[in-house]
Amino acid sequence: MKIDTKAKWGIVLGLGPALLIYIGFAIVPIIISFYYSFMKWDGFSPMQYVGLDNFKELFKDQLFWHSLKNNVYVILASVIGQLSLALLFALLLNRKLKGAKFFRTIGFMPVVLSSVVVSLTWSLIYNSEDGLLNELLRAVGLQSWTQNWLGNEHLAMISVCVTIIWQFIGLYMIIFLAALQNIPREILEAAEIDGATEWSKTWKIILPMMKDTITAALVLAISGSLKTFDQIYVMTSGGPNHATDVSALYMYNKTFQSLQFGYGSAISVFIFIFGLVLILVLNKLIGKSAV
Amino acid sequence: MVFKMKKSWSLLLLGVVLVFALSACGSNDSNGASKDGKVTLTLWNAWSGDTSDTRLYNERVKKFNDSHPDITIKTETTDSDNYRTKLKTRAAGKQLPDIFQVWPGSELEPIVKGGAMAPIDSLTDDLKGKLINENTLKDFAVDGKQYAIPTSVSYTNLVFYDKDMIKKVGYDQFPTTYSDFKTLIKKLKAEGITPIELGNKPQWPLQSIYVSMIADRITGSDYLPKVLAGKAKFTDPGFVKALNVVKELNDMQAFNKDVNTINDDQAMDNFVQGKSAIFISGSWSTTGLLDKKSKDKHIGTARMPAFEGGKGDPTKVSGVGAVGLGINSNLSGAKKKAALEFLKYFYSKDLYEDLLKAGLLIPAKVDLPKDTDPLFKEAYQATEGGTAPVYDGVLPAELTQTLNNGLQGILTGSMTPEKLAKEMQSQVNQ
Repeated sequence: MKIDTKAKWGIVLGLGPALLIYIGFAIVPIIISFYYSFMKWDGFSPMQYVGLDNFKELFKDQLFWHSLKNNVYVILASVIGQLSLALLFALLLNRKLKGAKFFRTIGFMPVVLSSVVVSLTWSLIYNSEDGLLNELLRAVGLQSWTQNWLGNEHLAMISVCVTIIWQFIGLYMIIFLAALQNIPREILEAAEIDGATEWSKTWKIILPMMKDTITAALVLAISGSLKTFDQIYVMTSGGPNHATDVSALYMYNKTFQSLQFGYGSAISVFIFIFGLVLILVLNKLIGKSAV
Repeated sequence: MVFKMKKSWSLLLLGVVLVFALSACGSNDSNGASKDGKVTLTLWNAWSGDTSDTRLYNERVKKFNDSHPDITIKTETTDSDNYRTKLKTRAAGKQLPDIFQVWPGSELEPIVKGGAMAPIDSLTDDLKGKLINENTLKDFAVDGKQYAIPTSVSYTNLVFYDKDMIKKVGYDQFPTTYSDFKTLIKKLKAEGITPIELGNKPQWPLQSIYVSMIADRITGSDYLPKVLAGKAKFTDPGFVKALNVVKELNDMQAFNKDVNTINDDQAMDNFVQGKSAIFISGSWSTTGLLDKKSKDKHIGTARMPAFEGGKGDPTKVSGVGAVGLGINSNLSGAKKKAALEFLKYFYSKDLYEDLLKAGLLIPAKVDLPKDTDPLFKEAYQATEGGTAPVYDGVLPAELTQTLNNGLQGILTGSMTPEKLAKEMQSQVNQ
């Protein structure tokens, strides 16, 4: 296809502002981060070049690996919890269901709410003394099931993951619904005429046709999980005793609370590379690159 | 047609909402550039929340603006947790305003050492020892130079208790020894009352409020500087014992169950609502307690009990000067003159009198008004014995983080006092 010069300029003009902003606020900071990661810097005094020392320390830092492990839990929760449930709901809502529109709105609601609102609400629900969840358990006679959901080191991470799953199911549900509605009717009708059951229709026609969308959703879920910060910051601040620390939160604390800007940048660089590798591997595994 | 109408209506509505949102958050900045001899200075503070002290500070600024037509002070307010992060970040980027609020000790030092602040000794020489307590003034000095003046003293440990509740279990007065304090806790528990309310989600309360005071009672006030100078160790029995006190209180189930998931403000609300008998917090809570408590609730204020065999002075309370305003080192000429004039006006006897009336503990020599609430009077009396160091005011930021997290670990049982002390010491050694 040949684009004439006039249209080319139009494209440059249209993309220009967005591209400039993107370079200024995303690409340049990433490069600066790389630079800082080789420095020892408390934010005030002059920087000191330390080579790879920050990274050497990072590999020995058990708390960092612990936070990365928690991050992997969030990724698993998002991929398994969010995507599979979202797919299930989308398949259900795509059928001629009474009140489908209503459920769709309800499902999408948490996505519209601010993360802070969601997290504050859930920390009230989880409160061990008079939270909704424990009250509910007591009301149905399950006192022994009541827990200190966010205050117990073994449960806190699970509780936080449940909130994250709840918050974003709606987003993927809408993405999947859009993909489902794009599947041509004729193909499904042809399958029905050939006597395909609902089950084989779903597995052999609908899901394969949604493959690209699912891959895109996977990439979104993984990169989103690596950036998890707000919900945990509000609900537990990474506590109790690092039980819910994730790498973004750990980086924040190291950088702005302990004032180790160089070390914090090294963590950011590591998260960046980790995410990139994860998504490259994923694309290799699925075969065709969708994103 | 009907559809089309609907669409245009909703578009219009969307437009109105967006314009409204934009106009609501739009602001008319000017960079403080001087026109016709007028000086505009920007002041950053953490006076958020509508409490009596923040109201007084803002009033003071307004009065200054009204009485000084050639100088305008523009304030920018951020809530205190975020303010500290903002200050550190913007200081790193050399983007500090003309005047800004600072915290003393380990928070002030890096900003001063980075060359971002100008000393204000010319101002304080007149006030030292006359209006303002010399000892508290020192909190805002680095290498012998003064960088800010405190408006109040933030005492980080005051024991607030419900007089009626402890009377119910046989106490007319708050216990003055730790062993008696433990007996009180046991008696309260036996009555089914949660003994102590604590909100440790933000992690600093257990450290700043509890450990600062408990450790000082046991080790004495000269211990902490010694540790940092390498002449004593965190693994010494005294400090380990202090951490063990936290563990002991936790093992006795003295705290509310949701201790790790609520913050200091929520804990105060629970205490005011009568969910527990004791709330240990700092002087920042006095104004809130006075505002929120009902008339028939009798709250007493006491000092942390003495520890048997402790080396510390039991009349001291851990505390540090607060709300100091400092000036940017890049100010010069008319702007610097205006900034100093503002500080001189701000830190006047009037302000301290008003603050004391409003329920703040101040570092200045001003008499207590007669109609003071007993809660505040007792707080005033409790803090007459002088100040002991506050841990997060003295410790470097990283060590504070380790202590904060470790204390949460002691509450959940994943950390022992001995192990935490060892971890802290190994960080000092590095």
